[in-house]
Amino acid sequence: MGGGGRLAAHQPSLAGPRRFSDRKGARSVSVFVQYLVNGLTIGSFYALVALGYTMIYGIIRLINFAHGDLFMVGAFAGWLVVGAAAGMHLPVPVQLLLAMVIAMIAVGLLAMGIDRVAYQPLLRAPRLSILITALGVSLALENGSMLAFGAGFDTFPANILPLTGFQFLGAQVGYVQVAMFILAIALMVALYFFVQFTAVGTAMRALSFDQDAARLMGINVEGVVLITFLLGGSLAAASGVMMGLYYTQINFMMGFLMGLRAFTAAVLGGIGNIPGAMVGGLLIGVLQSLAAGYISSQWQDVIVFAVLILVLVFKPTGIFGERVVERM
Amino acid sequence: MTQRLGSAQSLLTRFGPLVVLVFALIFPLGANAYWVDVCIGILTFDMLGLGLNLVVGYAGLLDLGYAAFYAIGAYTTALLSTVGHMSFWETLPFAVAFSAIAGVIVGYPTLRLRSDYLAIVTLGFGEIVRITATNLGFTGGPNGIYGIPAPSIFGYQFFSQNSQYYLAIAFVLVVLFFTRQLAHSRLGRAWLSLREDESASEAVGVPSVRVKLWAYVFGAIFGGLAGAFFAARLTAISPDSFTYTQSINILMVVVLGGMASFPGVLLGAAVVVGLPEFLRFMQLWRLFVFAVGLVVLMLVRPQGIWPAARRKENPFGPGSERKLGPPLPLDALRRPADGGGAALEVSGLRRRFGGVTAVDDVAFTVQRGEICSIIGPNGAGKTTVFNCITGVTRPDSGKVHLHDLSLFGRAPHQVVEAGLSRTFQGIRLFKNMSVYENVLVGMYPHQRANVLDSLVHTGRQRREERESLLRCQALLTFCGLAEQAGHRASELSYGDQRRLEIARALAAQPKVLLLDEPAAGMNPSEKQSLMGLVRRIRDLGVTVVLIDHDMNLVMGVSDHVVVLDRGRKIADGTPQEIQADERVVEAYLGRDVQDDEEASAWPS
Repeated sequence: MGGGGRLAAHQPSLAGPRRFSDRKGARSVSVFVQYLVNGLTIGSFYALVALGYTMIYGIIRLINFAHGDLFMVGAFAGWLVVGAAAGMHLPVPVQLLLAMVIAMIAVGLLAMGIDRVAYQPLLRAPRLSILITALGVSLALENGSMLAFGAGFDTFPANILPLTGFQFLGAQVGYVQVAMFILAIALMVALYFFVQFTAVGTAMRALSFDQDAARLMGINVEGVVLITFLLGGSLAAASGVMMGLYYTQINFMMGFLMGLRAFTAAVLGGIGNIPGAMVGGLLIGVLQSLAAGYISSQWQDVIVFAVLILVLVFKPTGIFGERVVERM
Repeated sequence: MTQRLGSAQSLLTRFGPLVVLVFALIFPLGANAYWVDVCIGILTFDMLGLGLNLVVGYAGLLDLGYAAFYAIGAYTTALLSTVGHMSFWETLPFAVAFSAIAGVIVGYPTLRLRSDYLAIVTLGFGEIVRITATNLGFTGGPNGIYGIPAPSIFGYQFFSQNSQYYLAIAFVLVVLFFTRQLAHSRLGRAWLSLREDESASEAVGVPSVRVKLWAYVFGAIFGGLAGAFFAARLTAISPDSFTYTQSINILMVVVLGGMASFPGVLLGAAVVVGLPEFLRFMQLWRLFVFAVGLVVLMLVRPQGIWPAARRKENPFGPGSERKLGPPLPLDALRRPADGGGAALEVSGLRRRFGGVTAVDDVAFTVQRGEICSIIGPNGAGKTTVFNCITGVTRPDSGKVHLHDLSLFGRAPHQVVEAGLSRTFQGIRLFKNMSVYENVLVGMYPHQRANVLDSLVHTGRQRREERESLLRCQALLTFCGLAEQAGHRASELSYGDQRRLEIARALAAQPKVLLLDEPAAGMNPSEKQSLMGLVRRIRDLGVTVVLIDHDMNLVMGVSDHVVVLDRGRKIADGTPQEIQADERVVEAYLGRDVQDDEEASAWPS
């Protein structure tokens, strides 16, 4: 059976890192702002992963269940690079830069490999077959990582990031939070411009409308799909490295919950829609942070899913999704 | 050689299940306790897989939270038997009912969603149920519920492993029986048609939301049943058994085995549950190897290990008379004469798309028993008129009357029920269903078998099925497709696919039949035979309205022609009048004979 108690495996708490947690007795506004800040930080991680879901779905109509695990592999790749770079006594900024760049490239290539080997042969098969293949890939990545890195937690070196921050409306905002948020937004904006204004991006959008027509226009469909996986994989890796650094602990199962939430974010925003995934990710992060803070962290996923279901019932294509008109 | 293979195959299908059953019955006698336990696990997943197969394999609805129903069944039995002191059998109806109610609650508001959105809603529902069970007091929290009594019957307690094994087999047989009954019924065919093409299905008269809801409810019922069994067998349950991963495992059973394939699902459960057990000697590598195996298996057999049969036996082949009775005379297809007067009256029809008025104040009347053609250059609004009449597109204003019955604002399936059916410009058959099944789906609006009839195959249901088959045979003979009845629709030639679409539309016994470019892409001899068919349909008493670009066909077959241009009606009359009408010539050829793609279609 595919990993008996996947959810039973320990996951790091996503309610916000202890380092920046709110202090008892703080004014309610500052508490709210604190939740908001923490929520936006993790929300930006979700958004990066959600982008991959949404791009891949937009192009080949596949819910890539392995995508959350690419995020996990990215975290481990970053961890390996930081370890090696620290061993070579490189300065911390260089360590971080190397970790980010190498993890993004490595996971991007891995995603391309997965597409080439496991997905492309099935593009003309029944749609659910490729979904099951994606589940198989997900399981293989999780268990492969467990074999490689063990079932326990690995930690990034302590104090690699500054713990300092500033006060904002009574809430503690870490410089790291700000930096990560800006980096995530920058990556998303870069992706948006890539998709809107480059030839490859235009080809991607064409593909998402009509694969056969795109092929007839001379677009190398397989090539464009590969590039989509490359982009999606590297964004997930960036998210993985950041999340690893933020929480310091990583584990082979960390991609599972991330995948679930990022997928939710993509759907909430309107799957197939790039700005939708960004907004969806941030919304899910904030919603979860507020739910965990004001209600209970045990119920946070119930609240997130309940909101999602309500949104879909009243706006069936997500926040930014457009109604697909079918031609008869 | 193929003959021999064929007979070997029929031998396999006839005696295979028996052999498997006998083997399953004697299996515990020679196996150790561990493997019997594994097999009970497989049997539980058989039930779950069979239930989910109705939802995913038949109705084509991706459900990622199926374990929720499993959980609801299990918790119901657990609570009622521990707190309520009911016996296992007394808890069963509650387990089934609560799961079914949950199915309605999740299904009703969400089944209008596109299938991928449905996937996440079901996933969310599954998680909500699990987390709720984990966090509530009366469900025992993360530890779950202990001390559930084992089932007993006439004082005999199902304590021993072997007795539980046989109980599991009995449960699987029951689920297998009922799911197969459903699959081979009006409801089962409607599910398949939804999986194949939802809007086409709706357009031939299947009320899609209601039919999907039934798939959901039955899936929930069998999931709940499996849950009840699971709780009583283990005597303890906890939320860990009902995770998202479990939902995914059940989905794997269905897809890996082969969607909509009963042997496939049973085999799929054996692989998904059994294979990791076989791989136990690999210890840590076990799940990795399983995962890679799963990917390779899907790559090698994308349709599943044991896909559903692609071709069906021709139900009207030699020897069918014994089962069905003698074929109906083609006269049986004739509509009862319902007097004269207007068959279809359209007036003031208007539809705007953004700034474009696609249909602008169109009015025309089609008399009963006539063949009426609607023509006009590309973009004239012909198909939009059809879509407005059939409820596919909602008109902004106007009146549509069929035999004095207003069709305005009705959903496509209600329009078919009222007596108006259609074909599509681009062929939209249920490609992976057989030719005769396509026609049977078309009979949905007139069949009366209800859900219970479908579940138990009552005498009424069987009589109706036989009558439907006979009528289907007559329709296929009428359209010249009797030989291909057992073929898959996608195997037919282009012209035959067009004819099958017409047969499917006629199956609803329409008063008026709308044909949207029936001759598109046909060669001249196919067009000739199509004209014959259209006339014969009219002779059955069915009023025909058709759109086409081929002027030879239109002028040759029509009693009455309506010409549209840029959303407005510009002419209305007999073919002779239309050919002489200056505005029509102008619309087609332009005032100064400019190049126009329609020009070539005009007869010289």
